[in-house]
Amino acid sequence: MTQLLLFNVFNGLIIGAFYALMALGLSLILNLSGVINFAHGGFLAIGGYLAYTLIPYLGFWGALVVAPVLTAAIGILVERVLIRRLYGRDPLYSLLLTFGLAFMIEDGTRFIWGAQSLPYRIPTWLAAPLSRSFFFLTGYRVFMVALVAAAVLGLFLILNRTRLGLRIRAGTLDLETVSSLGVNVRVLRSLNFGLGIYLAGLAGVLAAGMLGLQPTVGDNLIMPSFIAIIVGGLGSLPGTLAGGLLIGVASGVTSVFFPSASEAVIYVMMAAVLIVRPRGLFGEEGRF
Amino acid sequence: MSLLRVEKIARHFGSLVAVKDVSMTVEPGELRAVIGPNGAGKTTFFNLISGFLQPTSGRVIFDGADITGLLPARRVWRGIARTFQITEVFPELSVRENLRIPVEVASGFRLRPWLSRAADAEIRAYVAELLEKGGLAAKADRMVGELSHGDQRATEIMMALALKPRLLLLDEPTAGMGDQETYAITQLIRALHKDSKLTIVLIEHDMRVVFHLADRITVLDQGSFLAEGTPQEIAANEQVQTAYLGKAA
Amino acid sequence: MPQIDKRVGDAVVWLLLVTAPLWLTYVGGYIELGSRVLIYALAAMALNFLLGFTGVLSFGHAAYFGLGAYGTALTIKYLYPSTPLAMLVGVVAATVAAAIIGPMIVRLRGVYFAMCTIAFGQVFYFIAFQWSSVTGGDDGVSAWHRMPLGFGLATIDILKDNKAFYYFALALFAVCAAAMAFLLRSPFGRTLLAIRENERRARFLGIPVDRHIWASWVISCFFVAVAGALYALLNNFVDPRALRWDQSGNFVIMAVLGGMRSFWGPLIGAAIFIVLQDYLSSETQNWMSFIGLFFVLVVLFFPRGVLGIVRRKAAS
Repeated sequence: MTQLLLFNVFNGLIIGAFYALMALGLSLILNLSGVINFAHGGFLAIGGYLAYTLIPYLGFWGALVVAPVLTAAIGILVERVLIRRLYGRDPLYSLLLTFGLAFMIEDGTRFIWGAQSLPYRIPTWLAAPLSRSFFFLTGYRVFMVALVAAAVLGLFLILNRTRLGLRIRAGTLDLETVSSLGVNVRVLRSLNFGLGIYLAGLAGVLAAGMLGLQPTVGDNLIMPSFIAIIVGGLGSLPGTLAGGLLIGVASGVTSVFFPSASEAVIYVMMAAVLIVRPRGLFGEEGRF
Repeated sequence: MSLLRVEKIARHFGSLVAVKDVSMTVEPGELRAVIGPNGAGKTTFFNLISGFLQPTSGRVIFDGADITGLLPARRVWRGIARTFQITEVFPELSVRENLRIPVEVASGFRLRPWLSRAADAEIRAYVAELLEKGGLAAKADRMVGELSHGDQRATEIMMALALKPRLLLLDEPTAGMGDQETYAITQLIRALHKDSKLTIVLIEHDMRVVFHLADRITVLDQGSFLAEGTPQEIAANEQVQTAYLGKAA
Repeated sequence: MPQIDKRVGDAVVWLLLVTAPLWLTYVGGYIELGSRVLIYALAAMALNFLLGFTGVLSFGHAAYFGLGAYGTALTIKYLYPSTPLAMLVGVVAATVAAAIIGPMIVRLRGVYFAMCTIAFGQVFYFIAFQWSSVTGGDDGVSAWHRMPLGFGLATIDILKDNKAFYYFALALFAVCAAAMAFLLRSPFGRTLLAIRENERRARFLGIPVDRHIWASWVISCFFVAVAGALYALLNNFVDPRALRWDQSGNFVIMAVLGGMRSFWGPLIGAAIFIVLQDYLSSETQNWMSFIGLFFVLVVLFFPRGVLGIVRRKAAS
């Protein structure tokens, strides 16, 4: 029983880490620019597919490094050409825009890479289980959690130790003041967007290794990211991180006792949070 | 019995004290002006009275009842209406529609899916009356968002009046207006006051307006109560003059 | 003048709708397409009750559309083969769901509200997918069909006769449209406009904003459920795609495309969108990309919608 529980909790942590990675990117963009990037799942898919395409040239590790950066570049391009025009307007429009982008990306990836599932090869030594009793602890899974942890740490460092990070944090609180202090808000928004997309791309590469590649790979991850933000709290990155891990673990634990309800439980959590504490566990008041 | 009694009201924002132990009593039918240099906490004070903010301590008593905990919408139902420093109207609706809505709400019709012909006629008549009083009859069917600042303010004041309040709170009604518009608004307020013997409390910076309209004046400075009295008393008050650092009356 | 224009406009719309089966084939259409336009128009207008007239950003309406559809389909298949009963069940189910979910989200605003509507929309998609014993999962609910309407002596065969179904849908559309118009022109409707225009001012006029938003939300979901029920009847089939997030997006784009601030805007938007979608899906496999591109273009270059442009031209 404990084996099963441990397995599922660990699994839940991995999934939670994914949710958190996605949600953090979403959250970054939402907090600074007020844009719900519905195309986030699409960028995740792009990250995975780009990595797939790059592996023959750069190998597994090269692809892992380069693909998210490329994805972020695409993201910044999209932001500059399309999303930028909608900042002053009703959030309705940017949401519709990202909806449209999501359509285009999903169909586009299908067009370029085909609708079939593509296999994503990971180095064999990584795929091997690390321990005989804990068979589920494959190297790859540990590696993923480690990488996500590293990414989160990196994000934390960027936000708290660099000038860019300071500006992003200040801009999240009061963009007007930041602008009047001489910061180029347009560039800030672009970079922030790029950072968020980088995280999506990274999640995509990692997901490819675990789930394989299909055009709809981002679909399943975007909704839990939304819920991670709702549960963890709007406007709070630590909250989003906590939210993601929480729903992942909850999902994992539930799958032990009520396997069919494991996905439903995150929706129940969302409803509970909205009823009891609408701003989320760590959310700031007045954010909505 | 006084209509509005504010007892030692205070509001803290963390360590910042915006309003500290201010008390004020307003009699029915009075026109009270609240003045003070910038940062005196006048708007915060208003927000406390109208329910926009909750006080950290102190009470607000309206017509004998303690309304300190009531939300803004509830205070409206009790008879308190207010205008805002930045005019809050319905920009893409016509003046007539802007006025019709508070009239319907005040008549208890807000949830009605349907109006009888008689009720509709009554409402139209009252709206026409308000338009006339506010000097807006000629512009009744234009979009409020397109009107001049003065007309927008007049619309907002008439909207507040449409609620048939017993206390009208006006937050800097002449803010950002030129001489002509200021004069027009001042005349409007005066006419309304005389006409309906409404109790009015207003925040103002323009001393001409204050001295023209007010029965009594309350002066705030840096969140605290400074002085209170008739316009003549306040004009002669040295403390007030010092606080304003030479702002001429 | 605007009053006369309005009446003329209304008359033209109804004329076109009533005579559609006559002229549709001449412009390269077919009656089923007309029915589909009606259904989506109703859905988009229902959404616009909330979006364009109350100013509330709901992106999860497909859930209630789908609930109406599934309720209808499941009733005919498993409970009792009666079209009116089935529709009643579907609409009631959706409205009850909306009434319950409403209070959870009605305190929220802006993008946060939108996020939550999307998330709640997804809940029902998920249920439709997972609960395959009842809903048939990904395969949907098939092997049933709409029942002819029996009125004692006469029977209207809406099953075999496409024209009859069109007029059946039109009748329901008319009733719903009239009801919505009626509500919007009432004192209650004006409080919704007030909330859209300036929520703070509405609050300070004594309007209980959250409660009114909840009412508008329930009304909107009610009408979208009627559209959903008709959708199921039209196709004699329903699957989770009716509930997906893209369906919600479609409703919004129709409202925006036609003009959110006008009553008939969503109808025009629906007509354009459905025809476009119909054309594209028969021409290319990648019609989804084009639809996505369409979204992007509308948002960037056409945000006020068709009727918004017309109105501006008329004003100048």
